[in-house]
Amino acid sequence: MASEAPLTDHPARDRHQLRTLLLAVAILSTVLLAVFLTVTTATWLNQYGFLHFPLGFYLLAQGLFILIVVATFWFIRIQDRLDEARAENEELG
Amino acid sequence: MSVPSRLRTANPHLGAYYGIVTSAFVSLILLLAMFEQLGASRTVLAETMLLAPLALYLLIAIGSRTLEVEDFFCSGRRVPPIFNGFVLAATAVGGVGVLVYTGAVFFLGFDALAIGLGWTAGMLIGGVLFVPYLRKAGSYTLPTFLGHRFRSRIVRMTASVVQLPPTALLLAAEMKIAALIAVLFLPVSFSLAVVTIAVFIGVTAILGGLRSVTWTGSAEFLVGAIGLAVVVTTVSIVLTNIPAPQLTYGEMFSSLHDAEITAGVTPVQPDGLAAALPGPAPMANGKPFLEPFGSMSEVDFATLFLCVALGTAALPSLLTRSGVTSSISDQRRSTAWGLLLVALFVMTAPAIAVFAKLILFKDIATVPASHLPAWLGEFGAQHLIQTGDTNGDGVIGARELLIARDGITLVLPRAAELPYVLSALMATAGIAIALAAATSHLFTLGASLAEDLYRVLDRRQTLPRLVAAWAAIAATALAAAVFLVIAEVDPLRAALSALAFAASTFFSTLLLAIWWPRCTVQGALAAMGTGFAVMVLGVAMGGGFAAEQTALTTPVASLAGVGLGLVAGVAASLYWRTSSKAEETYCVEMRNPDGEAIYDRAQQRAAATALAAPTAPAVPAASAS
Repeated sequence: MASEAPLTDHPARDRHQLRTLLLAVAILSTVLLAVFLTVTTATWLNQYGFLHFPLGFYLLAQGLFILIVVATFWFIRIQDRLDEARAENEELG
Repeated sequence: MSVPSRLRTANPHLGAYYGIVTSAFVSLILLLAMFEQLGASRTVLAETMLLAPLALYLLIAIGSRTLEVEDFFCSGRRVPPIFNGFVLAATAVGGVGVLVYTGAVFFLGFDALAIGLGWTAGMLIGGVLFVPYLRKAGSYTLPTFLGHRFRSRIVRMTASVVQLPPTALLLAAEMKIAALIAVLFLPVSFSLAVVTIAVFIGVTAILGGLRSVTWTGSAEFLVGAIGLAVVVTTVSIVLTNIPAPQLTYGEMFSSLHDAEITAGVTPVQPDGLAAALPGPAPMANGKPFLEPFGSMSEVDFATLFLCVALGTAALPSLLTRSGVTSSISDQRRSTAWGLLLVALFVMTAPAIAVFAKLILFKDIATVPASHLPAWLGEFGAQHLIQTGDTNGDGVIGARELLIARDGITLVLPRAAELPYVLSALMATAGIAIALAAATSHLFTLGASLAEDLYRVLDRRQTLPRLVAAWAAIAATALAAAVFLVIAEVDPLRAALSALAFAASTFFSTLLLAIWWPRCTVQGALAAMGTGFAVMVLGVAMGGGFAAEQTALTTPVASLAGVGLGLVAGVAASLYWRTSSKAEETYCVEMRNPDGEAIYDRAQQRAAATALAAPTAPAVPAASAS
């Protein structure tokens, strides 16, 4: 079976840009979704407790910050890998 | 083939230098604590605690002075990520965060969390969407980047003009916070404090530009972080026996709830679109801390969160620091460090508010009016707390206990009956963070006025580049001081308005400029102009920055500005010409993570051209002017 011809002259660059875009969309939508979900359910969540805090309050005061910090460092790791992969692909031609 | 970035090595002794700074400050705290036990007067303690670090910052600024353009405008692009993170965190939080946000949490409780959440999420959004690409572009200011991206002087000048409201408002807010603290702890008037602060931040920014802003800002951040951590941890130990305030204040909620009920605090309902935010004057606390969405509805909470998040993401003072590290990867890391530090502060602020509220309500609102604590008179004289048994029932109810929003953080150590040196330490922390943020805002404003207005308008370049920047920074500091002396500025409303302006004006413009190669000059101007116009309209309809409804109408106007700006930018780009080949090449280069910054390459080409033809007039870099 014949291999597919590249769609553009810069397949490594295009792949990198697409993956970068997908990563950005994924991380931002995850965080924003988590925030809005927590805001809309905070009153209900407050009936549960966590570490002496009402759960809804805890998530808005600490839980979401932990999520955002973890997501940021995870993003950096993945994005660095994407950048390295692009550099290697471009080196190989 | 990928091109390695030019080798930029950070000073290997930075860790040792800042270790010495930290040790010196800790030694100062211990020394003053001993002097207090030996009977030193409060005036001496406060003056030493506040002025000694100022001398240290000035020494660092003098040590980092420079006449090199690259050092002045981008700190030589060799700042280690953690140090850039220090300054990013100090600029994002600022004195407004330390004093005003904590005060807002004290009064609004649960509902104020929207602001802190917005700051943190905003740093993530900016770090993902904008920062790496601005680092690759390498422009010295945000308007310069937009000018280079669209090959347009008009875009550059317009961006510089519309950058004025957000940056100037934040500068005024931070200077006011620093001046308020100085007035409370030093024998100076408000006007003298404002002028002294303007001179201090002006000298710091002029001596070394972004280089001195970075290194003094790092020291100021460390002083601020140590001060806050020491005081809050000590209060946590006094109240809960555990030195982890972020984890232990949850245990105080039942006591706080009881104290609130005893003091007569009852659940409240959101009052339509009326302002929920507390003002700067002493006021009664009428909302239970844990009541969710009592002062603002869920929709208002989400709107405020989004406005603060998008404003932080597009804040020129933060984005100006996108070119100071040695690589794109380091720039991302520095944003992550900054975000982590902001998150740590925002997680600590509710602990400060809960501790302060519990102590105040237990010590004042639940005891007979004749047995009020002694420190109350001291705070009354400083207009931080006012009480009076107006209904004559023998106790001070919540309605009779008026507390100044911006004084909560400063009141906490005295109310917890800690040594006075810890009150002075908290003041030092607040003033340090406020100065770091104010210097960043001042540099951003001054550098943009010099680079994007003066250098574009004056084609003959009458003034050398650094002289123009010095003049612009000095003029901006003077204007800010005059404005603060004659105008009444509420730091909270000013800061929120600034973030709303930043979101409305720059978020959609940057999004299109970086992520949509087809965006044209007309599209950028349409996005920026529409966002700014909507925001101005919103502020005008809301009655100005100090209006009661600023808290809610301004965020709505800001988000409308973002949406309409995006629509206008896309429509104008599609309607008018397609982007030029140069713009497309710039976009492609900007997305390439390897190699030297685009601006630096242009500068090197210009320098090589000038060397090759020494008799010909120097050709400015294609993208440099």
